[in-house]
Amino acid sequence: MSTFKTTEGYQIIENWMHSKNQEPFSFQYKTWQKYHSGYSGLVVAPTGFGKTFSVFIAVVIDYLNQPEQYKKGLKLIWISPLRSLAKDLAKAMNEAVDEIGLDWQIEVRNGDTPTKDRRRQERLMPDVLLTTPETLHLLFSQKKNSRWFKNVKCVAVDEWHELLGSKRGVLTELAIARIKNLTKQLQIWGISATIGNLQEAQEVLIPYKDLKTIQIKAKEKKKIKIVSILPDDVETLPWAGHLGRSLSSKIVPVIYENNTTLIFTNTRNQSELWYQIILEEEPDLIGQIAIHHGSIARDQRNWIEEAISNGQLKAVICTSSLDLGVDFKPVDSVIQIGSAKGIARFLQRAGRSGHSPFEISKIYAVPTHLLELIEVSAVKEAVKQNEIEAKPPMVLTYDVMVQFLVTLAVGEGFDRDKIYKLLKETFVFSYLTLEEFNWAIHFITQGGTTLNAYEEFHKVVLDEKDGLYKVKSRRISMLHRMNIGVIFSEAMLMVKFKSGGYIGMVEEYFISKLKPGQSFILSGRVLELSTVKDMQVLVKSSKAKKAITPSWNGGRLPLTSYLTHFLRLKLNDALQANNREPELKFLHPMLIRQAKTSHIPKSDEFLVELMQTKDGFHLFMYPFEGRLVNEIMASLMAYRISKIKPLTFTIAMNDYGFELLSDQEMPLNEDIIHSILSIENLMEDVTASINASEMASRKFRDIAVVAGLVVQSQPGTRKNNKSLQSSSGLIFRVLEEYEPNNLLLKQAYTEVFNQQLEEVRLRAAFERISKSKIVVKQTKGFTPLSFPLKVDSLRNSMSNEDLSKRIERIKKQMFKFEE
Amino acid sequence: MITIAEFKCVCQTETFILTNQRALYWDKEKALVLSDLHVGKAATFRKHGIPISKAVLEDDLKRLNQLILHFNAEKLIIVGDLFHAEHNSDIDYFEDWLASFENLKVELILGNHDKLQTELYTRMHLGVFQPKKDTDNLSFIHDAVAKNTKQFTVSGHTHPGVLIKGKAKQRFKLPCYQITEQQLILPAFSLFTGLNVANAPKNCKQIAFTDNLIFEV
Repeated sequence: MSTFKTTEGYQIIENWMHSKNQEPFSFQYKTWQKYHSGYSGLVVAPTGFGKTFSVFIAVVIDYLNQPEQYKKGLKLIWISPLRSLAKDLAKAMNEAVDEIGLDWQIEVRNGDTPTKDRRRQERLMPDVLLTTPETLHLLFSQKKNSRWFKNVKCVAVDEWHELLGSKRGVLTELAIARIKNLTKQLQIWGISATIGNLQEAQEVLIPYKDLKTIQIKAKEKKKIKIVSILPDDVETLPWAGHLGRSLSSKIVPVIYENNTTLIFTNTRNQSELWYQIILEEEPDLIGQIAIHHGSIARDQRNWIEEAISNGQLKAVICTSSLDLGVDFKPVDSVIQIGSAKGIARFLQRAGRSGHSPFEISKIYAVPTHLLELIEVSAVKEAVKQNEIEAKPPMVLTYDVMVQFLVTLAVGEGFDRDKIYKLLKETFVFSYLTLEEFNWAIHFITQGGTTLNAYEEFHKVVLDEKDGLYKVKSRRISMLHRMNIGVIFSEAMLMVKFKSGGYIGMVEEYFISKLKPGQSFILSGRVLELSTVKDMQVLVKSSKAKKAITPSWNGGRLPLTSYLTHFLRLKLNDALQANNREPELKFLHPMLIRQAKTSHIPKSDEFLVELMQTKDGFHLFMYPFEGRLVNEIMASLMAYRISKIKPLTFTIAMNDYGFELLSDQEMPLNEDIIHSILSIENLMEDVTASINASEMASRKFRDIAVVAGLVVQSQPGTRKNNKSLQSSSGLIFRVLEEYEPNNLLLKQAYTEVFNQQLEEVRLRAAFERISKSKIVVKQTKGFTPLSFPLKVDSLRNSMSNEDLSKRIERIKKQMFKFEE
Repeated sequence: MITIAEFKCVCQTETFILTNQRALYWDKEKALVLSDLHVGKAATFRKHGIPISKAVLEDDLKRLNQLILHFNAEKLIIVGDLFHAEHNSDIDYFEDWLASFENLKVELILGNHDKLQTELYTRMHLGVFQPKKDTDNLSFIHDAVAKNTKQFTVSGHTHPGVLIKGKAKQRFKLPCYQITEQQLILPAFSLFTGLNVANAPKNCKQIAFTDNLIFEV
């Protein structure tokens, strides 16, 4: 122990900190000490307590102690999920090494780095490189790239909880595996916020048996204050919807009471709308509030971020775009509009305020409709009990493997046996079979299994001279580099003023619905569409009062499983007449109405509502399991009913329940309802229902992009590879027809299973239902529970009817065809 | 085997038999009229590292073969985008396929994708027209954007589709023919193409089809 304290490196750091009147937190000291002893590990600490310096200074100390062990070039690679994070982190690190008196080059490299800086880095890499998983893979696709990595001593992954569980996390695992292969004695460190499966998080990051590992948890805790903003009277909040406009008058005082407030909305669309709402409520705030989301021009976002840091803004309406990032010192309050849909996300957002150690984070929860009051109450309960979601890691993502293999083939080429060994060592591919690996090699070299069907497909070829797999075609190399990464995006168009000046991005399909002269809102401005040319949308300012707000797809988060658990608890509480929780009191009028029009399910009851309208025959069920599981249950119910009678269903689901709608009467009575809710043959039927639904084809969208089957159009670039345009749906169909054994198809189905289904949870739900009393109610109209499904849900369809029969019937029914 | 379903349709002075197999038959000329075969699309994808089976093209041509036999057609009129991109193995396959017919006349109205060298068209004995081919009453053209001819046009290019909405919020897309007083737009012949359900011409009849049905929407 004492030996570390007496090292020269530690002494220098101790003096440096003394000079600033600082002392290390105990978790920082422990990290330095363990790093010194050769450990790898995971540091778990709340934001604001200097978790960056736990790992960074550890490397500095080691260098100061034994500079002779370090060679020129890259020593530390710092991976962070966000580009915007890197710039400020590099600044802080540079300041530190300057003060310490170390001549290290610390630089950022990501998609925003200018070409001339990249070329300079490629000639001589800095000592520390702050980068993203995608940029690392791009480096792997360059010629002779291994020389950059051979002297790396440490890879640090910042905000690991944010990457884990996503394909970006898989890219990170693969990047580390390759760097470890190229170096001697690599140390791997992760930094994470608290999540439910920290031990697993550590094993995913550091699966290597030859490394000593440790988990270091900070004792320091962030104090959080949660305030619910409630309406004055109970009738104010609507049954459904997601805007919450009715509470805007309560938000303005919060903005004034605090220095700077971050207002989180769940979608970009909502943030644009809320910007307008707040200005309508309080016009004096103009110039003091701003919008920040992923589709706003980067320059503008940078400006806003700086303005927040300097305390120039009273409030910023933002989306997950500001979930992570640099510490904004002036921010002392956070408002969450609508449900954060998860406990971890809620805490993360709360933590953006009161950033300095020991300051209190303050978050105001603003429900947008009545049922969300229960969510607010559920989150509070979860925080109280300190229950935070786990982030289950992804496994066997064949699409990322295919991309990685091609990346290496574009770069230096790869040796088949060595790369198989490398993959097997990672967590994600530890269960990869040789057969599956061989399939991937076959897929990238031959295209498919049918003999002679893939003439001219020479994506990756085996170089007989050195036995390495390589990409020889420059066109394929170029296309592949453009598609490296795993973030799927809709085709985006840049929005510019005719007179010059870039405003932001909108999805192509949104613009395609507008006609020149029509107005829309972006970045808080009303714009009039002039023309669309060369992937650019040209606009001018508009004075129109009314305009459409783009709805960017995505961003509709499902409720996490942990939260649904608390939700059911709270719903049950809400039913107790003498409940004193303020949020739940507001629910009483709605519950009375539900009791009048239908029934209030008690904790040992399961409610089924049936209704007939001019739309057709409706079946509603309320498992309260979150949207993803509800969707699976809905497909399963549709499948089981259609086994009794072939039918076509439109399925709608939200976080609370689902609706099956059919144009024909469903064969339902109490007995049949019991039998379709049976736990028997559960998994067999679920598998069959997934195969019959559109879910897999939807999952295939990003698989196709990651595996390079669909060429993404790059926002802003004019090259659009017209002759290679196709939709993932078309490719899905072609593969199902001609290559049914393609592993990427299999992956689409397993992703539905793994990410959405959670067998354990589904089984538990069915067990719960089987023990419940099933209450079937015929209702005359929509009830407080079914109404939200009508107005705000995602839709799907499923049919096991013959298409011709469906058409015949539609023709007879109403003859309502439209373009 | 495919099912050929037929739908008779009179356009001004001419009578066409629309089929559910994405081509129409013009009895007066003993001609099959079709559009957007996109020969070479799968191979273009393969060349760029996206594995799309050659069977895509083979199946398209099998279907065309059956149509030719079914109607005893003597002529193909292809209103553009017969070929997808530059010369490749799919196009060689097509050339061989074409050579197996002794007396089949092929006329091609060039589309925006048809960028092969003229020699290839000559070698395949294609009658090439650009930008259109006029007959007494009809004008065949790839993309009939601006209607400035008085003649009835037969075109392709847009890959038309129709969104069918039924009771209980049912919706699905089907390929279709679009017909107005002045024009007829053909569906894309190749199955390896997308559908465009927006931008149908004003007041058009849409004739949609499935594997075994053809009907007016």
